[in-house]
Amino acid sequence: MRRHYAAAVLLTLAGATPAAGQGQPAHRHVVWSRADVVHLLNRTAYGPRPGDVERVLILGLDGYLDAQLHPNRLADSDANLYLRRLHVLEMSTADLRETYQAGVRARRERQRRGAGDSAATRPEVPEMRPTGMRRYLAEFQQAALARAILSKRQLYEVLVDFWTNHFNVFVLKGPVRFLMPSYIEDVIRRHALGSFEDLLIATAQSPAMLVYLDNAQSVAPNAEPPQLERMRRRAERMTPRRAAQRARLDSAMRRLELRMPRGINENYARELLELHTLGVDGGYTQDDVMHVARILTGWGVQQRPGTVRFVFNDWAHDRGEKLVLGHVFPPGRGEREGLELLRMLARHPSTMRFVSTKLCRRFVADDPPAACIDTAVQAWVGSGGDIGEVIRAILTSPSFWAPEYRTNKVKTPLEFVASAARVTGSVPDTTLALVRVVARLGQPLFQESAPTGYPDRRESWVNAGALLQRFHVALAIAGGRAPGLQAPREPPLGSAGTADEILAGVRHVFFHDVAGAATLQSIRNQISDLPDPRARRTLAMGMAIGSPEFQRR
Amino acid sequence: MTTEKLRRRVFVKTGGLALLSLGLDPIFLTRAAYAVRRSGATGTRTKTLVCVFQRGAVDGLNMIVPHGERRYYDERPRIAVPPPGHAGGALDLDGMFGLHPALAPLLPLYHAGTLALVHAVGSPDATRSHFDAQDYMESGTPGRKTTQDGWLNRQLAHAADHGTTPFRGVAIGPHLPRALRGAAPALAIDNLQNFGMPGRGALRERITSAFEEMYGGTSSGLVASSAGEAFDAARRLEAAHPERVRPANGAAYPSSPFGRAMRQIAQLIRSDLGLEIAFTDVGGWDTHVNQGAGEGQLAGRLADFGRALAAFATDLGERLADVTILTMSEFGRTVAENGASGTDHGHATAMMVMGGSTRGGRVYGRWPTLDPARRFKGRDLAVTTDFRDLFAEVLVRHLGSTDLGAVFPGYQTNAARWLDLMPA
Repeated sequence: MRRHYAAAVLLTLAGATPAAGQGQPAHRHVVWSRADVVHLLNRTAYGPRPGDVERVLILGLDGYLDAQLHPNRLADSDANLYLRRLHVLEMSTADLRETYQAGVRARRERQRRGAGDSAATRPEVPEMRPTGMRRYLAEFQQAALARAILSKRQLYEVLVDFWTNHFNVFVLKGPVRFLMPSYIEDVIRRHALGSFEDLLIATAQSPAMLVYLDNAQSVAPNAEPPQLERMRRRAERMTPRRAAQRARLDSAMRRLELRMPRGINENYARELLELHTLGVDGGYTQDDVMHVARILTGWGVQQRPGTVRFVFNDWAHDRGEKLVLGHVFPPGRGEREGLELLRMLARHPSTMRFVSTKLCRRFVADDPPAACIDTAVQAWVGSGGDIGEVIRAILTSPSFWAPEYRTNKVKTPLEFVASAARVTGSVPDTTLALVRVVARLGQPLFQESAPTGYPDRRESWVNAGALLQRFHVALAIAGGRAPGLQAPREPPLGSAGTADEILAGVRHVFFHDVAGAATLQSIRNQISDLPDPRARRTLAMGMAIGSPEFQRR
Repeated sequence: MTTEKLRRRVFVKTGGLALLSLGLDPIFLTRAAYAVRRSGATGTRTKTLVCVFQRGAVDGLNMIVPHGERRYYDERPRIAVPPPGHAGGALDLDGMFGLHPALAPLLPLYHAGTLALVHAVGSPDATRSHFDAQDYMESGTPGRKTTQDGWLNRQLAHAADHGTTPFRGVAIGPHLPRALRGAAPALAIDNLQNFGMPGRGALRERITSAFEEMYGGTSSGLVASSAGEAFDAARRLEAAHPERVRPANGAAYPSSPFGRAMRQIAQLIRSDLGLEIAFTDVGGWDTHVNQGAGEGQLAGRLADFGRALAAFATDLGERLADVTILTMSEFGRTVAENGASGTDHGHATAMMVMGGSTRGGRVYGRWPTLDPARRFKGRDLAVTTDFRDLFAEVLVRHLGSTDLGAVFPGYQTNAARWLDLMPA
């Protein structure tokens, strides 16, 4: 609390106006209402499950935040029990690589035999019963969904989703297929509530990112791998009598020369500055991009049977002096140059502002108020980039609680499906069908091909076609026949039969007794002439999940 | 509907600003205004523009090959498409340029004068970021990030007096692309077969009216106005059944996502739903590694691309006279191949214009040559045609657009710079 007041004072001194929160005392959570709790759970969780509102009301904001910001202290048996059935989580990257390569070999064989196929990289709705690598990918998507629905560590799962998109990699880009699980498990999940600097460095050294944005292909001009040099020396030592051997060696050398990367690839360097750290208006130039790329030459991936890991290839590293954002990187310090660069970027004011803006967009509004961003930046400065502290500052800021920003975020397909499952008390079944539902709604998980990740603004998710799909899902869930969801053991509306009983149930279960007046009136009008109580309950619930209120959070 | 009338009256009386303070957003207001103007089904033939976005920056130099220029072969020892007459060689067009051999299905369209090619076209903005460049090409305002809507949506908005159906602007795909976002209603349809309200027959009617009442109530904003468009579209589609239209004239679409998208656009056109602007995209062009020459990765993508476009032209038959297809990509790729037998982000690329009244059978655009002194920053193919000049000509001469200032704000297009690939 004290930190918060300090930040407010600083802001006032700096001339910033905390306009959004006027009339909202910073200690608002001392007196809090059901509506506050619903707001909090809509933003820091994938919506409430039955009983959550009452539980958090008693816990209080500080109690809730302390628990959610220390997810390891929260037992998570429901999610863990479910995840045990997903084989992909037990497999090492090396094992997944074997599966991937077996699939590639099989496809090449098919192509060789003339069954031509032109694999497109466009994300598609996954198959019903995938096998091999596709099965593992679907399982991995299912893991993300199951965690969103079942985990007690909801704020953590929300942040995992946030960072997954901030540091997006596209799972369908070749080897990323087998690199993705360890990327999410060991990089994103490990650091989602840790320090931004550690997270940034971990992504930069992750095989998935190095492959996705081609840094593994980026080498200093004229650099040659040591194998080639060794081959050349062997060729020189060979006596003329060994002509056949010499020819074999020459052809191997030619093959290696054709395959080996040459020259700088700027892809990762550019996205590192534009999307991961400074932001596109963060004050860097094309020269900075080039020098960042040169610093990161040699950052690559070692792949051999049994091992897939980050490696620094000294032979590929550019040994010249570099200059980034006015900072001189003296020549010849190898991997340390990159680490120094990443630390500099992680602490750069543009980075703090850019990433804080995105966090405020996730938690407060599509166009977040300046006061929220300032608060987040202050917490970033004060904590040295501790993600948990930045989140706490945002969630206790007046902006977060201001009435004008409540229910103004439109749910992404993932948020819509997860919140609908949670509010009805449904759980994922043993199939992978729910993955397909979220994909059809427009968000096949881990399959956004652009490094921007999935967008976090309503225009991207609201259009007539997408809404029609949501209505389908809403009615399917209401009827207890949504693909991939097990109907709840206790039906949300119980055995409510009369319109009044059903209305009271819908008001409580779906609107938590704090919202939905207009929708409830429509539901009453629509169900009153239906003779069958079951049909009434289904239509009422379908309308509730398909309602304008439920599309927002 | 009374609420609609009320909203309009408030809108007219007080203007957008007053309503903003009540929490109604401007996009919603404009959409409400459209809803009022909306008339019945068109049932008549409309002029249609089909935009195809090759996302990932297609290598224009291997798509439309400058085989007549020696430097092309010097710069691309491993990935150049061989000259015409060689194995895997380019399909000669005019002695200077050739089509990539995988685009063979498009060659008859070129010779028939239906397909025009444009080389060295692109954005004046120097960015080499896919995302920025796509954004600029879709917003139609290169260098300006603050533009909220897309150029195709502004075209729809400015040509709204053509009579409105919910199918004036349709994107085939799960999301509405940036180019179609904005004040005028537009639909994203992933699959015509599944588009519509749940249920069948009487049940579907019942569900539709229930949801319509719920969304027609006091709720407002983007979600509500989108829902209104959804109900309207669903009813019309149910009456027209475009998904039952079968490919005509023996057209054979590839079974790829792009093939399916082009097939569905043809179905919408042939169902006379009033489609004015269709948009779809096709990926896989970001060929940094092992892009291949006459065969290989890029060839595979181009084969799919060419087959789908050719099938579309065949399917539409004489109807193609009402339809112009315009392909685009955010930028081109480096003239020189990189160390991984691929190409990196460059500047100008090549685009295609097909159908309508296109004067095809020619490669348009001033060729800047591959001379390093004439390249952009000494590295990439220079842009000699601003993409907005190409788009503007197509809008004016195909769709009869009259207010280019609204579609490309801040840009003075000039018919003198146009390529004249369509009759005035």
